[in-house]
Amino acid sequence: MLDDLRFRLRALLRGRQVNRELDDELGFHVDHEAEKLIAAGLGREEALRRARLAFGGLDQVKEECQEARGVHLAETLVQDIRYGLRTLRRAPGFACAALVTLACGIGANTAIFSLVYGVLLRPLPYTDPARLVVLNETTPRVGLVSVSYPNFLDWRAQSHSFTAMSAVTQVAFNLAGVSQPENIMGDAVSPGFLSMMGVRPIVGRDFTADEEKAGTPAVVVLSYDLWQSHFGGDPNVSGRTISLDGRPVTVVGVLPPDYLAIDKTDVIEPMGVWAAANPDSANSRGDRGDTVVVGRLAPGASIGQARAEMEGIAARLAQAYPAENSQCGVSLQAIRDVFVSDIRPAVLVLSGAVVCVLLIACANVANLLLMRGAGRDREIALRMALGASRGRVVRQLLAESLVLAGLGGLLGVAIAFWGIRGIVTLVPTGALPGASVSLNSVVLLFSAGVTILSTCLFGLVPARHAAKASARSALRDSGRSTTAANSRWRSLLVVAEVSLALMLLVGAGLMMKSLSRLLAVDAGFRPDHLLTLSMSLRTSKYQDDQTVSNFWHVVLDRVRALPGVQHAALGSVVPMTDNHDRTDITFEGMALPAAGTFPHPDVHVVSPEYVSTLGLSLLRGRTFTDADRHDAPRVAMVNARIARTFFDGDPVGRRFIFGHPSSKPPQWFTIVGVVGDTKLYGLANPSRLEVYVPFDQSIRSDMVLVTRSASDPAAETSAIRQAVASIDRDQPVFAVATMTDLVDRSVAARRVTFELLGWFSALALVLATVGIYGVMSYLVAQRTREIGIRVALGASRWEILQLVVTQGAAITGAGVATGVIASLGLTRLLAKLLYSVSAVDPGTFAGVALLLAAVAMIACYLPSRRLLRVEPTVALREE
Amino acid sequence: MSPATPATLTTGSRIDLPQGTLDLLILRTLALGPQHGWGVSERVQQMSRDVLCIQQGSLYPALHRLERRGWIKARWGTSDHNRRAKFYALTPKGHRALEAEQDVWRKLTAAVAEVLMAEGGRHA
Repeated sequence: MLDDLRFRLRALLRGRQVNRELDDELGFHVDHEAEKLIAAGLGREEALRRARLAFGGLDQVKEECQEARGVHLAETLVQDIRYGLRTLRRAPGFACAALVTLACGIGANTAIFSLVYGVLLRPLPYTDPARLVVLNETTPRVGLVSVSYPNFLDWRAQSHSFTAMSAVTQVAFNLAGVSQPENIMGDAVSPGFLSMMGVRPIVGRDFTADEEKAGTPAVVVLSYDLWQSHFGGDPNVSGRTISLDGRPVTVVGVLPPDYLAIDKTDVIEPMGVWAAANPDSANSRGDRGDTVVVGRLAPGASIGQARAEMEGIAARLAQAYPAENSQCGVSLQAIRDVFVSDIRPAVLVLSGAVVCVLLIACANVANLLLMRGAGRDREIALRMALGASRGRVVRQLLAESLVLAGLGGLLGVAIAFWGIRGIVTLVPTGALPGASVSLNSVVLLFSAGVTILSTCLFGLVPARHAAKASARSALRDSGRSTTAANSRWRSLLVVAEVSLALMLLVGAGLMMKSLSRLLAVDAGFRPDHLLTLSMSLRTSKYQDDQTVSNFWHVVLDRVRALPGVQHAALGSVVPMTDNHDRTDITFEGMALPAAGTFPHPDVHVVSPEYVSTLGLSLLRGRTFTDADRHDAPRVAMVNARIARTFFDGDPVGRRFIFGHPSSKPPQWFTIVGVVGDTKLYGLANPSRLEVYVPFDQSIRSDMVLVTRSASDPAAETSAIRQAVASIDRDQPVFAVATMTDLVDRSVAARRVTFELLGWFSALALVLATVGIYGVMSYLVAQRTREIGIRVALGASRWEILQLVVTQGAAITGAGVATGVIASLGLTRLLAKLLYSVSAVDPGTFAGVALLLAAVAMIACYLPSRRLLRVEPTVALREE
Repeated sequence: MSPATPATLTTGSRIDLPQGTLDLLILRTLALGPQHGWGVSERVQQMSRDVLCIQQGSLYPALHRLERRGWIKARWGTSDHNRRAKFYALTPKGHRALEAEQDVWRKLTAAVAEVLMAEGGRHA
């Protein structure tokens, strides 16, 4: 084997010398043979002639020797590639058309693959991420919910399918002592978390097991970014004290730069520190705040086994603690799914789309090659007559295709480079946690693979075809006998193109319809001219409710006084932010529901002007006023859905309590008004039960300020920041966004998918049109003579036009028909991305089919017009 | 990688080689000592008393193929007539291959002969 390789290498690297040696060797033989013949009495000339003759074709023997040495393939490939480049240069029009087509196909695939790789395939920066599982609790009404901390402790103690299990709780802090007060995000984690994930701090230490207990000294590990931006990458940062929420905290380490969490993470702290600061959440089983659990599967345990075990544990806990755990189940997801679950369908649909584009591009180029092949019959026949084997000719034609695809691939990667930038700007920041979309080596390898694949796709049929056809027709005149098979192939390719283009157009059409329906959805409020800003009063000076309440009132007064602000209000949860606050309620005088089936509305704590600021519609009763103070009777508003579901539309005057009836004296809230439903969780999600209570009667330290202004709402940002700073200059204002941005973000995946699908289907339409045009031009050219005869025999030109256009229409019709059938099957894959549009929406299908048919008919008609001008005499002379 | 010799054909008193036997003959010839291409073809013809004729067009590809397989080794030397010539010699690997091929050949011819005899017997 090694010998063989060395031999081939020598032959390849020192090809010229090897060739000279071969010449010498064969020359020696011929000379000897001749001398033998001379000795037998022949003349020198005659002897040499016979000696050569005995050899057969000297060149052929040489070629066979080279082939026997095994260098042949590589060497002729280089030759073929050079030859291919030369032929391309001789046909610049063909080369340009083919290159651009291929570049589009390969470029689109490269760009989308970079997305696929960045989002779905790139290894997550953890040790053996396939064994990591994210656990949540589930309830029948909400689906996935956070895990209660006491439940987590029981899970960990009772399960055997995991080698380690950690709770991860979202936390936020005011970071003071820097230029601008800042809100930072982080996680409180069980001490074994980092080692379980396979993450090691690059500076300092991991948490110790002792730091799980409440009362442990306050410490944090910084994210790499925070370390760089706020501590200048100080290598001695361990031991430094920082101020979080006004309390001193010691830095003990720094996370690596590639640390990946689902939400933005600036710091992590041990669970014990969190438990001390949040004793209620840490100790009450019914409290499900912001905790998920991550576990590492034990060797040999499958996620299915783990799920079965966890479901058993959850069932036992539900029995042991029915008040808190009734109907609560458990969900296990592979960690990758937690990162990509939302975006996966869109990415897969786009991958399918670019594959279609590539196939269309290949079909087009194959068509171009077939068209050229017809012109090259004679050249190929000549080569075969001179002794080239059919395999050799196929190889040469494939090499030409490879040259074409290679150049197309290079161009495609260049297009992808810009395309990826475009895609990245389309995707809202933060929409793809953990994704890094770029033109990396894996993506380039993929492009190379696609290039080779497309060479086979578009090159093989024409090459085999050419070789076969030429073998048959040899050097006989024009290859007219071959054109029947040729044009059958070409027609088939166009049928395929049309059907693929139709599939893409249907997909884009469905996405467009669903997006426009989605954007037309009534969100329940007016999203224009709204700005939202979050504030969280966490420092020790906001210990008592009165201070908190005063702060909010002053903020409202000062912000309202700003010249650009028309309305200002505070709300605990604003629509489109994915924040939520839900709790069970009990209506007065209604049959008590079973545990776990209480009404579970979203609760909004709002200032009086909230309804007018957001533009909610007041359907009944009144909104809150300044009179609904903390010492006034408790009041509430409910949304239309509650009114409909529980009160036949008119709940004003009815009462409810938060939570379940207990021995404590009930705190009644009287319903004073009904407002319209809002799309709290994005336009595509159904509205839910909602309850509003006045902010003076339910003091919250986390609120969102919402302002409505006459002009660009974002322009008010700095004025509002200054107004807040004038009250408390250490108070951060964060998560500043216009409501239109929030709405956009909620439809981002659909919008991006639609835009990209739109581009790809437009490209497909253009390519398919070019394909039809090409085939029709060819057919017309082929039939010019026949038509000349027909005209000479008295056929009307219109009859003839009809004849040709009918042929085009047949091809188009076949393409549209197969496309519609294929789309009926395939659009179901889109269903997850569609909103209130059926995946087989007849309107879209019909519209797209008509559009495609119309464009195709124009592409048929244009070249056919030439027939109207055919002069019989000219046509007959053309042969 | 079978040699490109045509199927057995008789042309007068000379017999073209059956498929697969060319390699065997080359190896056998070279077992007698290093030889150049022309010498190999001459020697085969002599040893077979002019019955076997090697197609010169297939000799050289066969030599190169055997060289690549590592069964023979090439070296440039000087011929009897003081000309630079490429000499081929059997390698140890080639010796083993020759023995194996000879064995196969003997079995094959014996078996073929057996069959032919049996056929003849029935006709007799």
